[in-house]
Amino acid sequence: MRPAAADDAAVIERSWREPERFALLFDRHAPHIHRYLARRAGREVADDLVAETFLAAFAKRDRYDLQHADARPWLYGIATNLVGQHRRDEVRQYRISQAVAPEPEVAGHADRVAADVTARAMRPLLDTALAALQPGDRDALLLIAWEQLTYREVSRALAIPVGTVRSRLHRARTKLRQALAGTEAAAAYKELTTNE
Amino acid sequence: MNEMELLREVAHETPLPAPGELATARARLIAAIAADPSAGRVQAVAGATVSQPFPSSGQLVLRPAAPVPVLDAVKLMCGGAVGTAVQLIIALFYLGDIRAYHLTLLGHRFTAAQLIHWRPLIAALAIVVGLVEIGLWLWTARAAGRGKSRARIMSLVLVGLATLQLGGIHGAADLFFAVSTWLTGLAAVWQLWRPASTAFFKSRAVSSNHATPGSDADRRR
Repeated sequence: MRPAAADDAAVIERSWREPERFALLFDRHAPHIHRYLARRAGREVADDLVAETFLAAFAKRDRYDLQHADARPWLYGIATNLVGQHRRDEVRQYRISQAVAPEPEVAGHADRVAADVTARAMRPLLDTALAALQPGDRDALLLIAWEQLTYREVSRALAIPVGTVRSRLHRARTKLRQALAGTEAAAAYKELTTNE
Repeated sequence: MNEMELLREVAHETPLPAPGELATARARLIAAIAADPSAGRVQAVAGATVSQPFPSSGQLVLRPAAPVPVLDAVKLMCGGAVGTAVQLIIALFYLGDIRAYHLTLLGHRFTAAQLIHWRPLIAALAIVVGLVEIGLWLWTARAAGRGKSRARIMSLVLVGLATLQLGGIHGAADLFFAVSTWLTGLAAVWQLWRPASTAFFKSRAVSSNHATPGSDADRRR
């Protein structure tokens, strides 16, 4: 679920004169930014990066374009840049995920559990494919798939045209599809999801 | 289900952090906020306002503190005043060296005899214009710091003047200071028209309108 962000711009504008207001933006978005960073760079690094993200945002808050009420793309953009500076941590995170895939939850609907199991079986392949993507392609893909940003929001976050977002996403998806295709796990997964 | 849905499936493995996990990051942000110069100014202004309530209205008026771009613009304009002063000194220093071919007025080229005759007037004019310009820089800097909207207009005028002065440059030193002053003015104008500055000027205009006419607050402005 998306946090209420209708008046982020108002909070930032107010923080120009009353900096303590900026803490509200942290309370509003830090959990989601932290989760995004944890997904990409690991929990230990995420603790530090989320702080750096908001410190950077606070330092350049006077450059924020108030026409954008929702500050999430801006914050995700800063967070993504920071992930870029910790690229090795990110790749290592994908390797750790490959090695330590968590156990599936036992409770729940049988199909759901089966989907979980198959998804986990494909996890190592997925992580390898993600690690092999171009950083820019990976940024666009994960902001859309994990954080559910729109093309326009990703365009704002990464400071690239919407057309570039589309082409990056297309390229990333094609590579993922190729990497996942033709494997035993993929076949099982396909079979399972077609039966649903 | 496709690769996007698979990615979303995998993303479910990472839950939102517990509130305690964000405590350190939040503490770092709060420390940065406390160390921010404008945070200190807000507190200082609030303190000053509490000790000096405006008697006519009986209300406490909290003036918004100037944001960093405005403060930078004020510094730049003070720099502009210094640059203009240096230019004036250079101009006076070289006044004795003005040749007739240097000086044309409305297409009329002065003769050497006329130049000797007019030199005191030229010197006086240079001093007056220079001092007025320095005064305008300082006045604009003061007005910008207080959130007066006309300071932004005046800064544009000053940059315009500085641009005109670029046309009458003699010597490397003069060129250096003229270009420096022009760039300083340009940077000050840019700072004054940034979004944070615009919000500050607008908020000051609003708080000025809310002040009771004839009150101490009004007079103090």
